[in-house]
Amino acid sequence: MEDELFEQRTDLSKLSSAVEQIKATLAQIIVGQHHTIDLILAGILADGHILIEGVPGVAKTLTAKLIAKAIDARYSRIQFTPDLMPSDVLGTSIFNPKNSAFEFKPGPIFGNIILIDEINRSPAKTQSALFEAMEERQVTIDGQTYKMEEPFIVLATQNPIEQEGTYRLPEAQLDRFIFKVEIKYPTLEEELTIITQQHQQNPIDQLSHISPVLSIQDIVSLRQVVKGLHVEPKLLEFTAKIIHETRNNKSLYLGGSPRASLAIINAAKALAAIKGRDFITPDDIIFIAPPVLRHRIMLTPDKEMEGVTPDEIVTQIIQKIEVPR
Amino acid sequence: MPVKPVKQKLVVHNDTALVIQRYFNGAALKNYSAQKEFQYGNGGYAGESLWTRFWKWFWSLFDTDDKSILGRIEQYVLIALGIAALVFLILKLVGVDALNVVRRKPLSATLPYNESVENIYETDLDAELEKAIAHQNYRFAVRILYLRSLRQLSDAGLIKWDINKTNSIYINELTDAEQRIAFKILTRQFEYVWYGEFIIDMPVFTKISTRFNDFKVKAV
Repeated sequence: MEDELFEQRTDLSKLSSAVEQIKATLAQIIVGQHHTIDLILAGILADGHILIEGVPGVAKTLTAKLIAKAIDARYSRIQFTPDLMPSDVLGTSIFNPKNSAFEFKPGPIFGNIILIDEINRSPAKTQSALFEAMEERQVTIDGQTYKMEEPFIVLATQNPIEQEGTYRLPEAQLDRFIFKVEIKYPTLEEELTIITQQHQQNPIDQLSHISPVLSIQDIVSLRQVVKGLHVEPKLLEFTAKIIHETRNNKSLYLGGSPRASLAIINAAKALAAIKGRDFITPDDIIFIAPPVLRHRIMLTPDKEMEGVTPDEIVTQIIQKIEVPR
Repeated sequence: MPVKPVKQKLVVHNDTALVIQRYFNGAALKNYSAQKEFQYGNGGYAGESLWTRFWKWFWSLFDTDDKSILGRIEQYVLIALGIAALVFLILKLVGVDALNVVRRKPLSATLPYNESVENIYETDLDAELEKAIAHQNYRFAVRILYLRSLRQLSDAGLIKWDINKTNSIYINELTDAEQRIAFKILTRQFEYVWYGEFIIDMPVFTKISTRFNDFKVKAV
């Protein structure tokens, strides 16, 4: 209807078709999880890293592997364990007796899509090794800086239930993830579909039949399109107010960072593009705020005792701020 | 043969040591006696501190001569209220909402309402619309048309107006399917013009305005 009145300013046809193809590919194996898949795609298009949290058996790793499969890029998988060392992730300099010199052997972090499984199983020392790579897209070893290839996407999974042998991620690292996506249990209907489809066929075997939908160049160009989308100044103010309130809220010990403000705007733009719009609305911001903020904010101890969740506080904050109209 | 006792000569020694008689220092005594702390008589007694007197008064409230059942109940109620007030004060000081701990329900964040940029009940929307059209500010005019639609829906009791609600919430509040679709289209047009900042001219505004006017008639 609006096409009659408004001319198309940004060509989103390639993006829309790519998103549809990826969703269709994922739907062959993953049942439901539409909200999760939308968020993961928005995170990738917004040039972010994604933390996927869920109890065992809800297809966290499978979803991440499928996303990686749908993109024709260098894929690495790192299983985080308690004895993993930073050099196991980043790489190390090895002495080459042939030319009597040290040579850098890149670690698995040097890829386009990095799946870090069970990221909270490694201590802070190893997790800290990811700081520079995730934010600055580079790794410095022995005084030498190595640039990462674009796109560089970290998809990390973690289990919220187990406490034994796990380490809480440092705040600085959590802030580097654009979203914490929570994968919930499927509904009764979805559960039935899963067992009907997969009781005779292992979904892992089906992975080999998945062919890539997007190339590295596609991802880079789609990100450029998303970056250029329109944001009305009042919506920037709306986002800033939300983040500002997280810093002054009595229920919160730690509020959102400026990186969180940027994450909301960038992710809202990606979401708008997925929905076929070249501008964002307050609904996009409100939809995106909880996954952007839930891992960044910290509740006060008494709120934790009361059983309040970060999402509830974010919702309460948003409900108290006037929607720009 | 009996032994005869020998008598010894008794020698008396006189103490010739000089005894020096000592006296209290009169000036020092005077000095001490002038100090309040050394005045032990009734006149110099400092009395009970304010703190002690407060607690004496406090306990006197409960120490009633009324030995009837009603008097005792009153006494216990006062004690219970005092304890409850003390517990409440302590919890308040450590920042825990006592009622919420019992309820185990999340406490709503207390945030002040932001000032209303555009309250549809405080603005003369028709006058603003005329002004916007006269200034050829069609983007603003579409906004006024949309706000006017929201006021009509709110007046008709079809939506519950609140400055913190998004457009999609209002769409979902409409129960009539046909009305919901019509309002959804208007909302999208408003969003394209207002949030998308699409530039519109007179002909496009006329088309949009007609749709809003049609909806106005249907809503009323």
